[in-house]
Amino acid sequence: MTTITDTPVFSVEGLWKVFGPKAERVPADPELASLPAAELRSRTGCTAAVRDVSFDVRKGEVFVVMGLSGSGKSTLVRCLTRLIEPTAGTIAVDGEDVRAMDRTRLRELRRHRAAMVFQHFGLLPHRTVLDNVAYGLEIQGVGKSERRTRAREVVTKVGLEGMEQRRPGQLSGGQRQRVGLARALAVDPEVLLFDEPFSALDPLIRRDMQEEVIRLHREEGRTMVFITHDLNEALKLGDRIALMRDGRVVQLGTPEEIVGSPADDYVREFVRDVPREQVMTVRTAMRTASMEEAGNGPAVSPNATVSQAIEAVARSGAPARVVDRGRCVGVVDSDALLGVVAGTTPVDADNDTDATAGDQAAAAVGGDSAAGSQAAVAAGSRAAGAAPVPGKAAPRTRGQAPQSPGTDSGAL
Amino acid sequence: MATITAPALRVTVPGFLKHRAVHKLLALALAAAVLVPIAHAHWPGTTWPDALTIDLSDPLTRVSDWIIDNRDSHPLFLYFFGHISNAVVLSVRAVYLVLLGLGWAGVTALGALVAWRVAGPRLAVGTAVAFLTCGLLGMWVPTMQTLALMVVAVLASVAVGALLGLAAGLSDRMDRALRPVLDTMQVLPAFAYLLPVVLVFGIGVPAAVLATVVYAAPPMARLTSLGLRGADKEVLEAVESLGATARQRLLTARIPLARKELLLGLNQTIMMALSMAVIASVIGGGGLGDRVYQALASVDVGAALTAGIPIVLLAVVLDRVTAAAGRGTGESRRTRGTYALLAATAAVAVLGRLTGRLDWPETWTLGIAEPVNRAVDWMTEHLYSGVPVVGGTADWAAHFTTWVLDPLRDGLQWLPWWSVLLLVAALAWLIGTWRTALTAVLAMAAIGVLGVWQPSLDTLSQVLAAVAVTLVLGFATGVAAARNERFERLLRPVLDVFQTMPQFVYLIPVVALFGVGRAPAVAAAVVYALPAVVRITTQGLRQVDAAALESARSLGATGGQQLRQVQLPLARPALLLAVNQGVVLVLAVVIIGGLVGGGALGYDVVFGLAQGDLATGLVAGAAIVCLGLMLDRVTQPADRRAKKGA
Repeated sequence: MTTITDTPVFSVEGLWKVFGPKAERVPADPELASLPAAELRSRTGCTAAVRDVSFDVRKGEVFVVMGLSGSGKSTLVRCLTRLIEPTAGTIAVDGEDVRAMDRTRLRELRRHRAAMVFQHFGLLPHRTVLDNVAYGLEIQGVGKSERRTRAREVVTKVGLEGMEQRRPGQLSGGQRQRVGLARALAVDPEVLLFDEPFSALDPLIRRDMQEEVIRLHREEGRTMVFITHDLNEALKLGDRIALMRDGRVVQLGTPEEIVGSPADDYVREFVRDVPREQVMTVRTAMRTASMEEAGNGPAVSPNATVSQAIEAVARSGAPARVVDRGRCVGVVDSDALLGVVAGTTPVDADNDTDATAGDQAAAAVGGDSAAGSQAAVAAGSRAAGAAPVPGKAAPRTRGQAPQSPGTDSGAL
Repeated sequence: MATITAPALRVTVPGFLKHRAVHKLLALALAAAVLVPIAHAHWPGTTWPDALTIDLSDPLTRVSDWIIDNRDSHPLFLYFFGHISNAVVLSVRAVYLVLLGLGWAGVTALGALVAWRVAGPRLAVGTAVAFLTCGLLGMWVPTMQTLALMVVAVLASVAVGALLGLAAGLSDRMDRALRPVLDTMQVLPAFAYLLPVVLVFGIGVPAAVLATVVYAAPPMARLTSLGLRGADKEVLEAVESLGATARQRLLTARIPLARKELLLGLNQTIMMALSMAVIASVIGGGGLGDRVYQALASVDVGAALTAGIPIVLLAVVLDRVTAAAGRGTGESRRTRGTYALLAATAAVAVLGRLTGRLDWPETWTLGIAEPVNRAVDWMTEHLYSGVPVVGGTADWAAHFTTWVLDPLRDGLQWLPWWSVLLLVAALAWLIGTWRTALTAVLAMAAIGVLGVWQPSLDTLSQVLAAVAVTLVLGFATGVAAARNERFERLLRPVLDVFQTMPQFVYLIPVVALFGVGRAPAVAAAVVYALPAVVRITTQGLRQVDAAALESARSLGATGGQQLRQVQLPLARPALLLAVNQGVVLVLAVVIIGGLVGGGALGYDVVFGLAQGDLATGLVAGAAIVCLGLMLDRVTQPADRRAKKGA
């Protein structure tokens, strides 16, 4: 089991943000709290941007909040450092209550523990790249030469060396966002908060920047909270994804859980066009191996994606073995793999491996998804959060280029 | 049955009744039907009834006498106004002495070097040429006097304006309180500010400087507030997310982000200060304005032009240099340059002192007054009247007065007073909201209460005539410029120069052409207001959504159809703004026209100042304020508040 037991970096419980007159009464009154958005506005003049959201962000993970525009995700991330004051609920950072912080303490939180990257970069146009990157340190009162030295290091780290003396106006969109990223990194924060950082960029640049984030995460293992409206981006980057709609979290789980067992029709509609074979792992599709199967055939890791297994099976013409730490834990054959791709996987529920809760939830989907949705809906905002994180390597693999054929392990 | 009659009823309602404008007019007609008979029964006659007039001249005279008697003894003057007055006198004197101490070479070098630093070599040459021309015309000392007054007034305006703007930019409540005041101050004619200042400080340099400050500070305050408020929200959020304190946010983000607006504010403040510093010669400002004023009083066009040219040069140079500073990127190579600049200036100044050439050499002056006056005399003889076919300029002026101004004035004065109020209300309500209509009517009624109904209608008739001419010419030129790229390129530098010139200067050429009277005042007003109207019209037409225009073209619309059906309707807000600006600018100059025989309210102010009859002047000044308020509100579009930017 790979469950991480540390205290979460962020722990959010029953968080509400209501805009409008006398906003406090909405979360307090169960009747108002359950009203749909339009009715709430006509009755109280208030808009609930975030409704009763709970989740934990664990140390070292990339936690993605994903939703369409207006779903409240940007408001949510701003509530974390109280750039927007929450209406109700609790937020704890490393166990410390954020809503109870006084001004000095809050400033301390923003200066040292959580730094944010913005959609439209939020750079100061009158400063050079270097001074923009050093700005956070300047705010903290770090001396000029020291902050410049540190800024220079970060500028190199994000690949902007040689551009230190330019101004934001002279940079391309991707370069500007690198500056934004560098500015956040320069203060060496515990958590990086990204608010749709790449949605203003061209597709190719966006992919570069996503790779950059993956690389940084691999190198430093920094906790990240990433807001996006782009499902592919969420699946690519996220260790866990919270899917928001109308201010609520409708499903929270690993990319595999979201794609494999959508909590309701909304999520199912959302993930319909996702190439499942690139998200689902062979864990979902494998069955117990017979004695002869355990001995031969190509080997894949349990965390390898279905598309990698398909390649291996197609090359060898025989079912592939799923090998975990040298032990064969099951096999996948072409039927099972096709079933995943088609979305009709009759998954073997009784594989004897260390199947995770997520796998079971996925398994429960089976042909009719009612049971699965119920489970995930019950998981609602919090319970699903209990799902353990799969091995760190697996999500990263998704970010990589396709594996070479016949590889022995899905993880790098 | 009801179900059948209801739709039938709806059909019978004529379409035009559904229009909102008609509703407004009907409501107004209803109010008029009730109120007018009552008003007419109580106070018959066409002019404003005496019963509703409050005679302010006695109390005002008493206040003015009291102030004059107590200026040297009352603590309010001794410990407050006295100190302000002394400080102003001392600082103007100090700046003046420094300018004289630098000598003409030093000042020219300083100006040119500053222009070079901020705006490049071309403007540096221009600045040097401008200063040398001032000397050449024999106007060096008056130029320095005006400059000294300007420096002090601009510094004070910028300080006051920036502080007010800072307050309004940071506090919403302050912004709500200040905005209407600043908006109103900006539409008032410069002349309205003169008398209250004179009442407190008496005629002299302190009054001139303070009137200039009051006139020039509002743009700085407005633009500072605008810049602080207009900062990119996400940048501010980013700054806050990094844990900046309020002070850090202000100093490292909000103020630098507002740089462009701040420099634009500085530019506008300088231009308005120059305009007012020249007008303030009427209340003892001295310098170039005084020369123009004296010359105009004796209809000496040559002398007026000799002093007018330096004013124009000063205006153009100051405008271009400060505008260039606003466009610059703010490179950080300033400090080294500053020292070099100071060193160079000091060197030139010392050199000038050693060679004993501080004052502009007498022999280097060029008297243009004589030739100009000869030219004017020639014009008087040959162009004023009797030119075959076209007639003469004086004939035109006379015709304009008899055929346009007189009927208009008599017509306005013939109208019953309540119908004037009704007209004002109807116009203001149609263009704007009931709020603007109410303000306009109250302002107009206040004029009647002040007892200056007749002269105000005289001024109003001049304003209306000038506005009509301005709009016809301005819209025609604006449309032409919007449709013809080359014409616009030719027009642009002309408009640039015209827009930077102080109001006062416009009086010189019209006096040369038309002599004195009401027609020249109207002509000056038209020339003054025309550039703004042309510019706003052109910009409005140009900024019409290109997609809408393209789609009209793709449907095969002719040029005229495009203009009538797409461009003009879509540019409606800009056209209304042009009307509003035109009215405000015309009023400002029509009032100043009192100096060249325009008569009416402007003359009352001048007369009050000249005769020491402050009560008459103050009442006229108050009427000017009301008239300005009324004209602005009548032409204020309903949605202007929302989108009012710079």
